Amino acid sequence: MARALEVPAGRARIPARRPEISTAYLMIGGALLLVALFTVYPFGYALYASAHTISPILPKSFVGFTNYQLVVTSPYFGFSLLTTAKFALATVPVIVVLGVLVAVLLNRPFWGNSFVRVAILLPWTIPAAIGGVMWKGVFADSWGALNVVLFRLNVIEEYVRWLTEPPLAFTAVVIAQVWAQFPLAVVLLLAAMQAIPDELYEAAALDGASGLRQFAAITVPFLRPMLVIVALFEILLALTAFDLIFALTGGGPGTATTVLSYFIWGETFRMLSFGKGAALAVIIAALSIVLIVGLMRLMPKEALLGEEGS
Amino acid sequence: MRGGKSARLVYPAAAAVLIFALAPFGWVLLSGFLPAVAILDQPPQWLRYGLIDDNFRYIFTGKVPQAYEVGGQLRKMISQEVRAVPRAAFNSAIIAFGVLLLNWLFGAPAAYAYARLRFPGKAATFYLITASRLIPAVALAVPYFLIVQQLGLLDNHLALILVHTVLTLPFSILILTLYFRTIPQEIEEAAQLDGAPRGTVLRRIVLPLALPSLVGTGLFAFMMSYSEFLFALLVTSSAHARTLPVTLASIVQNPDVTWSLLSAGTTLAILPALILVWPIWRYMVRGLVSGGVA
Repeated sequence: MARALEVPAGRARIPARRPEISTAYLMIGGALLLVALFTVYPFGYALYASAHTISPILPKSFVGFTNYQLVVTSPYFGFSLLTTAKFALATVPVIVVLGVLVAVLLNRPFWGNSFVRVAILLPWTIPAAIGGVMWKGVFADSWGALNVVLFRLNVIEEYVRWLTEPPLAFTAVVIAQVWAQFPLAVVLLLAAMQAIPDELYEAAALDGASGLRQFAAITVPFLRPMLVIVALFEILLALTAFDLIFALTGGGPGTATTVLSYFIWGETFRMLSFGKGAALAVIIAALSIVLIVGLMRLMPKEALLGEEGS
Repeated sequence: MRGGKSARLVYPAAAAVLIFALAPFGWVLLSGFLPAVAILDQPPQWLRYGLIDDNFRYIFTGKVPQAYEVGGQLRKMISQEVRAVPRAAFNSAIIAFGVLLLNWLFGAPAAYAYARLRFPGKAATFYLITASRLIPAVALAVPYFLIVQQLGLLDNHLALILVHTVLTLPFSILILTLYFRTIPQEIEEAAQLDGAPRGTVLRRIVLPLALPSLVGTGLFAFMMSYSEFLFALLVTSSAHARTLPVTLASIVQNPDVTWSLLSAGTTLAILPALILVWPIWRYMVRGLVSGGVA
C-alpha cells in the first residue's frame, strides 16, 4: 500500500504548486467525503450507542458498560462465538488446501485447462445468498438432490436429515462456504504460482528432485506470502459470514449454525436492542482487528511491501 | 513435474473439481424446468413428466402452471412471492450499475490524484480510505440503518447505491492508484510539452491506457453490489427496492413456494453471472493470473 503513494524520483524535488494542491483536493474530495461520512461517523455512533439503551420502545439512557456485560454474559454469545470459531477452523484450512491442490492442477497444461479456470469461478461470481439457496436444493431433507442421488446409487438406505440434524447442518454450511470461496483461493494461488521462475524447477529436476520434493522446496516457500493473505482473508470472511447461512439454514436447527454476525442481526433487528447490537458489533470489530494485526505479524515482510510484478 | 503417473490423474481431478463447482448450478437449471410433482414424488422421478417452461411463464405472466391445478393438495403450494424476481433483478441491476458509475466518478479522479499529484494529507487520507474496509460490515449495520433512516432513504435505490459505493470505493481506489502508477509519466509529460492541456491529456492518453483496469474495477464494484446482502436486507422493506439476494433468501423460507418454482427464479437470478463470468475472467482475473499480459 505504501508503494502506491511514492512519487516518482525526479518529480519529488519539485515543490508542489498551489493549483496542483487544489486540483488534488477536488479530485479526492468526493471519495473522501463519502468514505468519511459512512465510516468515521458510523463507527463513532456504534461506540456511543453501545454505552446507551437504544430501542424504539424505551427512552434513551446512558448505561456505561452494561450492554457489554449483558452481551458477554449471555449464553447465546458464548454459543455463537464457539460456532464462529468452529466455522472458521473448519472452512479456512479446507479452502486453503483445496485452493493449493486445484491451483497445482491448473498450473499444468492440459486440454480444457482454460475452460476449467473460467468455469470454477462461477460459485464465486454469484451472490452468496443465492449460493445458500442453491445448496438448500442440494441438502434439503425430503427432496434435496443429494439424498435422491445417494438413494438411487444405493449408498444410503433412507434419506439423511442434512439440515435438521445439528452436526450435519453445520457440515452442510461448511461445504457451501468452501464451495463459494475456493475459486478465489485458486485464482490468487495460481497467480502466485505463475510468478515462480521456471528455472528453479528445471534446476531441481536436473538435481534429480522428485515432483513432491520440488513442491515442498520451491512451490511452498514461494507461495507462503499468498497463503497467508488467502488465509487471512478467508478468516475474516468466516468471522463475518452471514448471507449464505441466512439462506441455507437460517442459523438453525436451534443454534447449530448461529454465527456471531447472525447473532448481532437477531439481537438488533429481531430483539430491537440497538445498544446491545452495537456493543456486540464493537466486540466483533475489536476481535477482527486483533486477529488481523496478529496475523500480519506472522506474514513475511515481502508480502506486505509487495513484489511489484509488473 | 510433467508427464508420468500424475498426468493420468489430471482429468479425473479436473472432472471432480468441475462437478463440485457446477453440480448445484446443474440442479437449479434442471429443476426450474421440472413440474413440482417430479421433485415431490416419493421416490422422485425427475424426468418422468418431461421438461416444462410453466415455472418461468408463471414468474413473468402469473399464469398458474398446469401441474398446480391438477392435484387439490398441491394447488395451494404456490405463492405470488416468486413473481417479485424480475422486479428484484431490475432493482439489483439499477443499483449495481449506479455503484459502478459512482466508483468511476469518485474513484478514478481520486486514484489519479494519489498516483500523480503531491498534496498535504495525501498519506493520511489514503490510509483512511483504504483502512475503512477493515471494520467488519456487521459493526456498521446499525449506524448505517440509522443514517439511511435519517436521510429519509429507507426502501430507496439511492440508499443502497450510496452504501455499496462506500463499501467498494476503497478497493477501486487502491487498485486504480496502483495501476495509474504503472503508466509511464513520460507519455503524459511529452503530450503536455507538445502543448496539450491537462484535460486533453487525461481524456486522450490516460483514460485509454487505464481502460482495462477501469473495466476490471467497475466489474468488481458491480459484482460486490449485486451480491451484497446484509445492508440490502436492512434498508429495504418492500419489493420496491429489494434486491435479488434478499428476495431469493426470503422466498427460500416460504414453504408455499416449491423448489421447481424457486429454481426458475434462481435461474433468472444467476443468468447475469453465467453471462458475465467470461468478462470477469478476462478483465478482473486473467491479468492477475497471467501476470498482467493481456
